[in-house]
Amino acid sequence: MDSHFLMRRIHSLTGVVPVGLFLVYHLYLQLYLHSGAETYNTAVNSFYDSPLAIWTLVIVVYIPLFFHAFLGVRLIFESTVQPSYTYFSHLLYWLQRISGIGVLLFILAHVWNTQFGPWISGTWGTHFEHLSSGFSDPESGIITKTVYLLGVLGAVFHFANGFNTFCMTWGIALTPKSQIRVRIFSILLFLILSASALYALSAIW
Amino acid sequence: MPDTITFKIKRQDSESSGSYWETFVIPHVPNSNVISCLMDIQANPENSKGEKVAPVVWECNCLEEVCGSCTMVINRKVRQSCSALVDQLEKPITLEPMSKFPVIRDLAVDRSRMFGALKKVQAWVTADGYHDLGPGIREPQNHQEIAYKLSECMTCGCCVEACPQYSLNNNFLGAAAISQSRLFNMHPTAKNIADERLDTLMQEGGIADCGNAQNCVEACPKSIPLTESIAEIGRQVSGKLWSNIFQA
Repeated sequence: MDSHFLMRRIHSLTGVVPVGLFLVYHLYLQLYLHSGAETYNTAVNSFYDSPLAIWTLVIVVYIPLFFHAFLGVRLIFESTVQPSYTYFSHLLYWLQRISGIGVLLFILAHVWNTQFGPWISGTWGTHFEHLSSGFSDPESGIITKTVYLLGVLGAVFHFANGFNTFCMTWGIALTPKSQIRVRIFSILLFLILSASALYALSAIW
Repeated sequence: MPDTITFKIKRQDSESSGSYWETFVIPHVPNSNVISCLMDIQANPENSKGEKVAPVVWECNCLEEVCGSCTMVINRKVRQSCSALVDQLEKPITLEPMSKFPVIRDLAVDRSRMFGALKKVQAWVTADGYHDLGPGIREPQNHQEIAYKLSECMTCGCCVEACPQYSLNNNFLGAAAISQSRLFNMHPTAKNIADERLDTLMQEGGIADCGNAQNCVEACPKSIPLTESIAEIGRQVSGKLWSNIFQA
């Protein structure tokens, strides 16, 4: 066993635990957008009441997320483009890499825009107002909406498809039959999380 | 106008020289395969411009899709040229050497990396010395069906040619060697060194370099369940990873 193997296994694991689970929790939290500004802000801010909030965020989310992202970007450069093999799984293989890059860019912008930006400008706490004003801006609103739509759906796809390959990598789904079962589950996961995310966004659309 | 077939062949004169395309037009013979057409070109090596050229070099042996030596890229997809029937192919027919191996000349490539991979994973039944060891352990019935299918691998190279993770400048072992590791790890005698095989597969170039594109299983001419083998080896190395961390 060498570090090459270990790094890739950690890459596979961090994609699901904790990053994937954080995505599910994060999307669940966004459903509060439908409960109005006050409830949403309270729900989001309550996480930061804990003295360990920042540490939790760094250890559970940022370190695994950026480890996963940067190793992932490195992996893309090891791929050979072979367009003549037009198989569905091969398409997913490339969509996984393309969505990975897209989601990384989205997350960097998202973290800057909703976390560091408000911290620096001193407007931290009014999350709902910050989001809805960004979405309804007459000039940049349409761009923000498009970026969010692509970013959120990209993240959900990357997680659902990643879960599918996770089960193969770790030898959880062995036979072709079980691999189809896991694929059906990951499609359902994609549909449910997409529906949840789109419904949440509809509150401030 | 006589009935003809056009072949566009990617040629290369030596290991180090550059490649170029050359077109050959030969008379159409019903039921011919790519190899019989290459033989026709060899008999009269004249390109479409009417120039006499060196005959096209290729490899073949069994002519019944069990040896793997005639593997090449036909109409952009890798397959055996012996079982590529000309009447079923789109025309003009393009022939290229496999792109994942060093070209020796024209369509002949050096696949020693694949055999090297089999050596690395010790894809054989270990025998401890030359003395009579008596009869081997019986292969359980439920293993036989799986093992027979896996043993059909002819190391032709289709799986690694189609694989986006296998390239000239990395050292990925590839689906064939991973599948053979599974075969020998389930063999009653060869499984004695299962751990050593897994050790090799848990290093750079091993199982972790698989990207789950699953082109291998689609490209395999023998329909070997390669993705099942990859998942099974994935399970075995997961177990070994667990014992390396908690039981070592």
